[in-house]
Amino acid sequence: MNLFLQTTLNGLVLGGIYSLAAVGFSLVFGVLGIVNLTHGIFVIAGAYGALVLFTKLGIDPLLAIIPIGAVLFAVGYAYQRTIIQWAISRASLVASLVVTFGVAMMARNVLQIVFGPDVHTITPTYSFSSLTLGDLRIDLVRIVALGASLVLLSVLALVLARTHFGRAIRATAQQPLAAELSGLNTRNLHGLTFGLGAAMAGASGAIIGIVQPFTATSEVAWTLNAFIVVVLGGIGSPAGALVGGLLLGLINAYTAQYVGPALTQAAMFLVLVLMLLVRPNGLLGNAFGESR
Amino acid sequence: MKQGAALAAAAAVVIAALVLPMWIGPFYTRVLQLFFFSAALAVAWNILGGFSGYWSFGHTVFIGMGAFAAAHFVQQAGPFGSGPWAILVPVLFAGVLCGVFAAIIAYPILRLRGIYFAIAMLGVSQVVGELVNNVSWFQGGVGVFLPPPALDGMAPEDFFYYVFGGLLLLCVIIAMMVRKSRFGHALLSIREDEETAMMLGVATERYKIAAFVLSAMLVGVLGAVYAYSVGYFTTYTVFRLDFSLNMIVFCLIGGIGTLFGPIIGTAIMLFITQVLLSRFLDIHLLITGAMVVVIILLMPGGVIGALRAWRQSRATGKDREAEART
Repeated sequence: MNLFLQTTLNGLVLGGIYSLAAVGFSLVFGVLGIVNLTHGIFVIAGAYGALVLFTKLGIDPLLAIIPIGAVLFAVGYAYQRTIIQWAISRASLVASLVVTFGVAMMARNVLQIVFGPDVHTITPTYSFSSLTLGDLRIDLVRIVALGASLVLLSVLALVLARTHFGRAIRATAQQPLAAELSGLNTRNLHGLTFGLGAAMAGASGAIIGIVQPFTATSEVAWTLNAFIVVVLGGIGSPAGALVGGLLLGLINAYTAQYVGPALTQAAMFLVLVLMLLVRPNGLLGNAFGESR
Repeated sequence: MKQGAALAAAAAVVIAALVLPMWIGPFYTRVLQLFFFSAALAVAWNILGGFSGYWSFGHTVFIGMGAFAAAHFVQQAGPFGSGPWAILVPVLFAGVLCGVFAAIIAYPILRLRGIYFAIAMLGVSQVVGELVNNVSWFQGGVGVFLPPPALDGMAPEDFFYYVFGGLLLLCVIIAMMVRKSRFGHALLSIREDEETAMMLGVATERYKIAAFVLSAMLVGVLGAVYAYSVGYFTTYTVFRLDFSLNMIVFCLIGGIGTLFGPIIGTAIMLFITQVLLSRFLDIHLLITGAMVVVIILLMPGGVIGALRAWRQSRATGKDREAEART
């Protein structure tokens, strides 16, 4: 029983991180209709950014979230307004998928050249302490990571639900033409949404850096994780990302514990394929309805 | 008249390919062998992805399955026949097994469309790969041997050069027959608008499954021959994400959905990566990625699409139509 509870706890903690890592992907998918295969690059770039800031300047990764988020917001905005926009207008929405894939290949290669093929981790002072709760044990970093994820997800949910900017994003997602007629600059909003997604990915990367080892090649895994989270939970909303992320974390933890750690990938993809066949819009559905 | 010229050109290419290994060294024979293999994969992928518009991101599952099927067939049943022909029965078995597997998963998985189908195929390839790697019966983790065929005197690279060359020719002929037939037109109609095609009485379900199975069988055969050409392999030699991606990239660069686009794309990319940049292994990804981005932005229809647009704009003086076709 204890083992079961411990596994569940581990799964939920892992799931919180998956949620944060996927929410930007989910937002871009929901609002722009783009499957952004560069997403994993943003995550890993955030992790490398946090690593550099930590080792060179001694900035705690959790504080580094702010500069990393700002930089990736700018990068994401510029990237959407140029390359992705060109791909959509010159070719098609599907072509943008391939373009993001090509950019991901280039970026991965550049990261490999700059940082080398070694596996990195970020180890702040609180890395090695842990908390006990009855018989359950949990590392402090994981608690911190989960807390930071939940805070960021809530902030994003509030921004989307309560602010003018959030309403504009939702309007653009639901009815681009009507939003434009009401005086919204949808092109600019698409860029901003993409930037927001990139910033969230970068923030999650900084947190992932203190919890898990990473290399440039792990970007593929983070892109796929994001896709699985979206398919499990639902498109376009922080709540969907949270549900999907927690589910994915639980699947991962239970498979590693009860079936075999080598089979977690297989289990994740099996669930993905089954879910696609049964309910491809996720448990919570598409936050922007049938508009697309 | 035009057909005669095309036939003559094709014959000339085949004869040139037949005598070429005598002139070039073993290195370039191997490069060409890789070219035949990759181009045949791209042509086989194109039957499903290009004609019907169902982009599979996980076609490497059939390479892996074909390779392991051939190896286990030889282990269980022993080699059939002797000399170079010994590879024939295991390779055919691999092709049939891949076809059967494709037919089983086809019905549920082809209900998905677009990116969902692509990612589901990626999922299938990952799941099968992990299973082959971790279930000890498959021996994917430790690797399996495929005894090389006895070739009395012929160099192995020459042998596989001819085998892959023949397979490429086979794939092209099959793709051509598909493209010209009712089957091919049905696939194109599915790509253009599946609902309308269904409404007009095209049996979309059946045609999609047929294209999927055909593509899987060809890739399975290629995978089995590839396994013979490497001799010893593990899961990660054959279940490789980059195989899946290369098939797409090559088609994309040449022109997706065209007959010769995949071959042209493969030639361009292999020439760049294997010949021009053979010393700069570190930046292969960068170059491939850059090529993909540039091609999509500058000529979304690939090389063939660009050529067609250019020819049309010269003929009519208007390139608006050409844009609309791509």
